[in-house]
Amino acid sequence: MKVGYYPGCTLKGKAKSLDDTTMLAVRLLGNELVEIPDWTCCGATTPLTETKIANLIAQTRLLAKTRDAGYEGLVTTCPFCFSTLKRANKSLRDDSLKRRRMNTYLAEDQRLRDYEIPKPAWEEYSGQVKVLHMLEWLRDEIGFEYISRAVRRPLSDLRVAPFYGCQLLRPSEDLALCDPENPVILEDFLRVIGADTLDFPARIDCCGSYLSIAKPSAALRASFRILDAARRLGADAIIVTCPLCFYNLDSAQPRMLAEFADFRTIPVLYFTQLLAFALGSPMELLGLDSHTVDPKPVLMKIKRTAGVEP
Amino acid sequence: MNRTIVIPEVDIRRKSAARIAELSGQNIAGCIQCGKCTAGCMFAYEMDLDPHQVVRLSQLGMVDELVNSEAIWYCATCFTCGNRCPVKIDIAAVSEALRLIAYRTCPEKFGPDHVSDYDAQNAPQQALVSLYRKLGI
Amino acid sequence: MSQPAQRIGLFICHCGRNIADTVDVEDLARVFREEGELTVVEHYTYLCSDPGQNLILNAIKSKRLDGVVIASCSPILHEETFRAVAEAGGMNKYKVDIANIREQCSWVHDRTPETTNKAESIIRASIAKVRHSQQLQPIKSPVVKRALVIGAGVAGIQAALDIATAGIEVVLVEKNPSIGGHMAQLSETFPTFDCSQCILTPKMVEASRNPLISLYTYSEVEQVSGSMGDFHVKIREKPRYVYTDKCTSCGDCTRVCPVVVPSEFDMGLQSRKAIYIPFPQAVPAVYTLDVDNCLGLFPLACGKCRDACGAKAINYDMKPKIFEEHVGAIVVATGFDLYPMNNLGEYGYDKIADVIDGLYFERLVSASGPTLGVVRRPSDGKIPKEIVFIQCAGSREPERHKGYCSKICCMYTAKQAMLYQRRVPGGQSYIFYIDVRAGGRDYEEFYRRALDEGVIYIRGKVSKVYQEDGKIVVRGADTLAGGPVEVKADMVVLATAMEPSRGIKDTAHKLGIQCTADGWVREIHPKLRPVEAVTPGIYLAGTAQGPKDIPETVAQASGAASKVIGLLSRSEITKDPLVAVVEEEHCVGCKMCLMQCPFSAREWVEDRHVAVVNAVLCEGCGVCAAGCPSGATTQAGFTNQQIYAQLAALLYESPGMIHRTLGINDPIRPDEIAVNETDTEPVKALK
Repeated sequence: MKVGYYPGCTLKGKAKSLDDTTMLAVRLLGNELVEIPDWTCCGATTPLTETKIANLIAQTRLLAKTRDAGYEGLVTTCPFCFSTLKRANKSLRDDSLKRRRMNTYLAEDQRLRDYEIPKPAWEEYSGQVKVLHMLEWLRDEIGFEYISRAVRRPLSDLRVAPFYGCQLLRPSEDLALCDPENPVILEDFLRVIGADTLDFPARIDCCGSYLSIAKPSAALRASFRILDAARRLGADAIIVTCPLCFYNLDSAQPRMLAEFADFRTIPVLYFTQLLAFALGSPMELLGLDSHTVDPKPVLMKIKRTAGVEP
Repeated sequence: MNRTIVIPEVDIRRKSAARIAELSGQNIAGCIQCGKCTAGCMFAYEMDLDPHQVVRLSQLGMVDELVNSEAIWYCATCFTCGNRCPVKIDIAAVSEALRLIAYRTCPEKFGPDHVSDYDAQNAPQQALVSLYRKLGI
Repeated sequence: MSQPAQRIGLFICHCGRNIADTVDVEDLARVFREEGELTVVEHYTYLCSDPGQNLILNAIKSKRLDGVVIASCSPILHEETFRAVAEAGGMNKYKVDIANIREQCSWVHDRTPETTNKAESIIRASIAKVRHSQQLQPIKSPVVKRALVIGAGVAGIQAALDIATAGIEVVLVEKNPSIGGHMAQLSETFPTFDCSQCILTPKMVEASRNPLISLYTYSEVEQVSGSMGDFHVKIREKPRYVYTDKCTSCGDCTRVCPVVVPSEFDMGLQSRKAIYIPFPQAVPAVYTLDVDNCLGLFPLACGKCRDACGAKAINYDMKPKIFEEHVGAIVVATGFDLYPMNNLGEYGYDKIADVIDGLYFERLVSASGPTLGVVRRPSDGKIPKEIVFIQCAGSREPERHKGYCSKICCMYTAKQAMLYQRRVPGGQSYIFYIDVRAGGRDYEEFYRRALDEGVIYIRGKVSKVYQEDGKIVVRGADTLAGGPVEVKADMVVLATAMEPSRGIKDTAHKLGIQCTADGWVREIHPKLRPVEAVTPGIYLAGTAQGPKDIPETVAQASGAASKVIGLLSRSEITKDPLVAVVEEEHCVGCKMCLMQCPFSAREWVEDRHVAVVNAVLCEGCGVCAAGCPSGATTQAGFTNQQIYAQLAALLYESPGMIHRTLGINDPIRPDEIAVNETDTEPVKALK
């Protein structure tokens, strides 16, 4: 399937390492992902109320751009983008009112915006593009089999706690990525690159999301519970897919040390950082300096046991 | 809540309940108060009203009570509640509907002034965008 | 064959004020009398009363009527009454027609001339129909005085015993190697704490010893044909590879069998061998070789059991046997199964060893069970100090699992909690519930006992269950105290939903009976006819019909038995002859009726190349009569001739109607009616 890559604004901004390591890993797998031309912010959230239909404009426009660029699908790494794009796509497919409203507005907008520049007429978008998450694309388009053979630095002895968070899994009827109670895609992925994945019950809990800014102490408690559970299971690191999970779980650790007596730090890594590292990338390219809790000692451990030089 | 709940007069109650149901698009009347949403909510213990109580008060049309509660501002939109509800009510949507109603009556709950300097400099964009959309105007 | 009625009597009922207030019955009587076409025209206040009936009877006798039209209420109420009067008067009772001028006229319109016009039309149609009516005789069919009971749990056993008590032979079929069903697996029953097997096994033994009951175990119904009073059933008996008359249940074979598999009866709590007896009190008390798990018979991989058997009861060459039985009535008592735990994601998908379901707990706490009634954790055998029971696991969840309430879980969970706390001093049970449904006699008191004995009830569902440090963390809610609740338990018992026995859809299809959307067998009327299936001659008992407890099951089984006894106490069944009839010369052999008949009542005769009607099976629905392209099929009592006559009467024969609404005095002839706007006037007026 011909897919376009959608990084999203966070991956170009505060989560640069996620974008960089995604591109790096894709290159190391001998493949290529091209960004969708002229993309904009997806809006991050899906409107849950019936009146906020306008909050679907960004998603619709983006998906239509993907289609116009000739792609059958769109792949993204950020779970917020994945969630809102996939849900918007489904709305446009199933809800005729929303579809009509969006298309009518965008048709008009296309006509009026920069009207002096000739443009083609708006073509109705009704959900023709497929929305994929990076993990799905790696599993289905590249193939986990292929990835396991491309691994040059097997991550054996690295005990990791996979953390899904919420936006990747729920609402499960709309997102249909994985079983929301017992998801396996991240574990399967980690196993394929050789890591020792732990059975981590808190892996589908919420890290606190945007409440870390609005209600910091509440979110701190939520994030603490997750990290504490991972550490007590004996995890060397916790693997995330989402920049907000990363922010909440990583940057809040100094505050947790201050607030919770028995807290010990545990490094947080993006799954793509681990993938790139397993495929043989040198540590310098993984963007590890921006982490609050330094993951280098843990990764050094692998290098020593694997005996592979950077 | 340690006082008598005065159920609003029938026409007011019906209108308020209907407004919340219509705005959120959820069948609030179908809730039998089983409590599964409260049981799975990551932030229920921080809230002054439990998620199931939010739905209960919505059924009783007690909009003022809800709009003035802290509970609706503690929703992280993680969808654990709606995913497990036996009658598929999305309680996060109900919270959002109540926040929408609140915007029209309460002063600005959240805006750029409420963001700490550290967060302003370091928080990922998605956090700020979703925050303004969920909790702001 | 049609014998046109020449001497027709019309009797118009006032029905007190029900008809007379809205329809001008006296005017109607006057119109028909003045026309002079009918032999008798009478009207009366209550025709269904004794004087009313006598009026009709006397008219029939004195005027030698050969056709009767009663203009009254719906035939559902008094068709039989008036037919009986006709018969008493020496008339053929099928030459009576009811013109419904109440439910279809006076009760749905106002008092206007148009309403009386409509009543007149209805009556004219009825008269036209009776004119072409036939002298029909009721159809008699034989009744075979034997019954079949499918399923030998407590419902099937009770029904079989009751039917046998009336001196009727019973064929009792059970798919498992032993009878007893789920009740045999239970420990103690609510609300009396009776030991389940103690009260069941006497009945099981009685069923096996009763000379009138033929017991087929390890067997299933393969095919059913025929109709009420006369069913032909094929039963397939699976090979046990053990001679039931030679096996002494000594157990020597089991001891040497090398194959170990989980025991179905013990819910996997302990294992059994490939050759096994499900439980010690099994009836019949013989061993069975489970050929699917055996190492292999062809070629013979092992053979140890046969060598070990002192009674020479094992024979590897046994084949499935088909038995043919001829019965008059069938009772469906196929029971229930529990909703599988591997559908419940938030409770662990059946992957956490210490999360079990209700039946598993019954085996655990059963005095004759694998642990001799000691409650032990499946994972490490330790005795749990805290158990969480979760009610409504899969029930009352219309969007995700089963929408209905399984009725018995509140009661058995209270029972299980009490049993546990009595067995384990200091043990604590918590029950997460939404409601406590305790509807039977002594049930509410039973639940209160649980509270008195220290069981803690927490009102709220459980959102998630997971393992941590050897405990099971239960995340629930207490909606009454307000807030989420976390309990770290040693074991969790799920009260999973009851669902119809697996395979019921298949059985229902073979029997031609209806099931509800959830798979429960459907009764004709849930309140007034709860033990009869929609198909005549087939009855239902027990949880096959819906969730229920043991007292209700036994009561329903006896109820079904009484219906069976009632049916089979007759020597023959009579049914109304209003069935499809075929004029063979006109049948072109298109076979459309064979495809259309919902009752399999049309049969193909190859050598005559025609489709005939099995009058016993035919329910007179009319579908084949309507669908027959050559018009060969018609329906007795509703022949094409009669229907056309009714239509002609409705369309053309209503002078009074046109007289009353259009103000034209002369009756209009059929060929004079042109299709133009004025023709639609009568229709509009009737609205």
